[in-house]
Amino acid sequence: MGQKELKVAFLLALRSLQRGSRSSVILTVLIIGMCFTNMIFLPSMFSGIGQSITKQLVDYEVSNILVSPKSGDQYITDIDATLDLINGMPGVQRASPHYSKGATFKYRQRILGVSVRAISPMDEKEVSPVYTKMVAGSYLGEGDTGEIIIGKPIAGDATVRQEDEFQASLGGVRVGDSITVEYGNGYTKDYRVKGIYSTGWSPVDNAAFVTWTDMELVEGKTLDKADYITVRAKPGYTEQFIKNELLAYGVGVNGQVQTMTDLLSKSVGKVLQSFAIINAVSLVVSVIITTVVLFIVITIKTLNSRKQIGILKAIGVDKEVIMHNYGFQVIILGILGIILGIIITLLLAAYMSVHPIVTPEWSAYLYITPMDLLTNSVILFCAAVIAGYVPAYQVSREEIQSAMRA
Amino acid sequence: MIEITDLRKIYRMGTVEVKALDGLTLNIEKGEFLGIMGPSGSGKSTLLHMLGLLDLPTSGKIVIDGMDISRFTDYEKTMFRLYKLGYVFQDYALVPDLTVMENVSLPAMLRKDRTEEQTIKDSFGILQKIGLCDRREHLPRELSGGQQQRVSLARAMVNKPDILFADEPCANLDTENSRVVLDLFREINESMHQTIVMVSHEDWHKDYFHRIIRMRDGKIISDGINGASKNT
Repeated sequence: MGQKELKVAFLLALRSLQRGSRSSVILTVLIIGMCFTNMIFLPSMFSGIGQSITKQLVDYEVSNILVSPKSGDQYITDIDATLDLINGMPGVQRASPHYSKGATFKYRQRILGVSVRAISPMDEKEVSPVYTKMVAGSYLGEGDTGEIIIGKPIAGDATVRQEDEFQASLGGVRVGDSITVEYGNGYTKDYRVKGIYSTGWSPVDNAAFVTWTDMELVEGKTLDKADYITVRAKPGYTEQFIKNELLAYGVGVNGQVQTMTDLLSKSVGKVLQSFAIINAVSLVVSVIITTVVLFIVITIKTLNSRKQIGILKAIGVDKEVIMHNYGFQVIILGILGIILGIIITLLLAAYMSVHPIVTPEWSAYLYITPMDLLTNSVILFCAAVIAGYVPAYQVSREEIQSAMRA
Repeated sequence: MIEITDLRKIYRMGTVEVKALDGLTLNIEKGEFLGIMGPSGSGKSTLLHMLGLLDLPTSGKIVIDGMDISRFTDYEKTMFRLYKLGYVFQDYALVPDLTVMENVSLPAMLRKDRTEEQTIKDSFGILQKIGLCDRREHLPRELSGGQQQRVSLARAMVNKPDILFADEPCANLDTENSRVVLDLFREINESMHQTIVMVSHEDWHKDYFHRIIRMRDGKIISDGINGASKNT
């Protein structure tokens, strides 16, 4: 098969697509484009959910490294020394201690059970982006006492009647309002609501934050213990490096050190594995659909052209040229379909980045990498070529007489 | 140029055997304009297909230019058709998606001994000869039947074949267009000393042939120079 033969095969393919049935070309390209979109949409959405969950876990729960109490212990003790040690480590941006206490919130006639988290606002700002998610008022200051910030679901909406609420709330608390907080240990205090935030991460949005100083007043003593410490890594440092450093400097004596990856593999790892299985099934189904559709399209095309194929063979056109003619048609249709699929997918991704599917646990957008686009393009292209070449090969080998009689 | 010896073609339809060619022996000389005539089912198209390497005989031998074509591989047959033979079919058989120029150039484009410039020059030249140069960018569906058949003739002639086969080329044309096409065949035969083998069932076409063979039931019943044919 020389260059001349390939050139003639390409010319025949191009002219057939240019001057043949336009609706057939458009329909085939559309089918391939939709198959590509189908192949990439579901896996990308699952990846988006996975990324969303992972990002929210990192941002609002565990950061890059989580130092938690050792097995059997309830708290990390000697917190000041532990924080000094962690903050002094290379690669550590900041460590932020967390201490939670159950409480009952009272506002007008509403009563609501909420977990109050004590934080050191300056440290927490460097570890978690909650301060950027304020929808009303402002974030806590380091020395604040008698002030609290609460999640939007807790604040509620004054325009929604209690019986119509999706989840129980305080019925429309606004910044500056006073709420009564009754802690589990019996300590009761009126707080001024300094800010209301909304992160989209349900566990945080259903909690409230007070300063470490305020929690010391609740406990009635210096608070030298924490439920856990979240540690943010400086850019360029790996979590594993910091974990190793922390363990080497003895942080492991006071608490258990885990990277975000360690925690993810335990918590959402199974979910992500399930997503991977669904993705694989979706991919296989899409590839089969594409292959079958293209096989049918090219088979019909070749069957309709049997007489012409016989004539081409009669005038001295080699069967390889005829086969590659249909092969090139499929390649061109495949490339156009894939380009259309990429455009549709990217448009969907752009739309969903602005309007993600939001649930209380996660928000779904399309997470697509260039490698995803490339991999799916190659898979679909190979499927298209096989689907096109098989009927083309069969018809190109038909006897001239039987083809011409068709 | 063409030597046919005891050529047989038998089609089997279930248990019935149909002898399309029944022990046919014939020689065709270079430069002849041979007409094959006879009623439907006489075997004239079958003979043309055997000579044109479009079908395989059941037995017998065909030698073209000293080469026994039964020994050719599939690829060699294709190349032989491309380099040595030209075809004009009853229904024009043009590629509908190619322009007149592209249709005519197609066989020349595949030849390894032609450059692109030569292909264009040859195609242009033959289109000028048949008087359709001004329609070269048109698609076949934009031409009349007569014009399409002339394009088909140009395609067959672009590679300057040793033998030109025509299978009832005027079957779909009116008398006027048939005459135009047959005049072209005659002109090509006379000016280029082109060997032409044409199947026809129209009696008035015989005026164009040098030699006519008449067939019936797969056998030659008469063979001779036009106007002086002898019974066999």
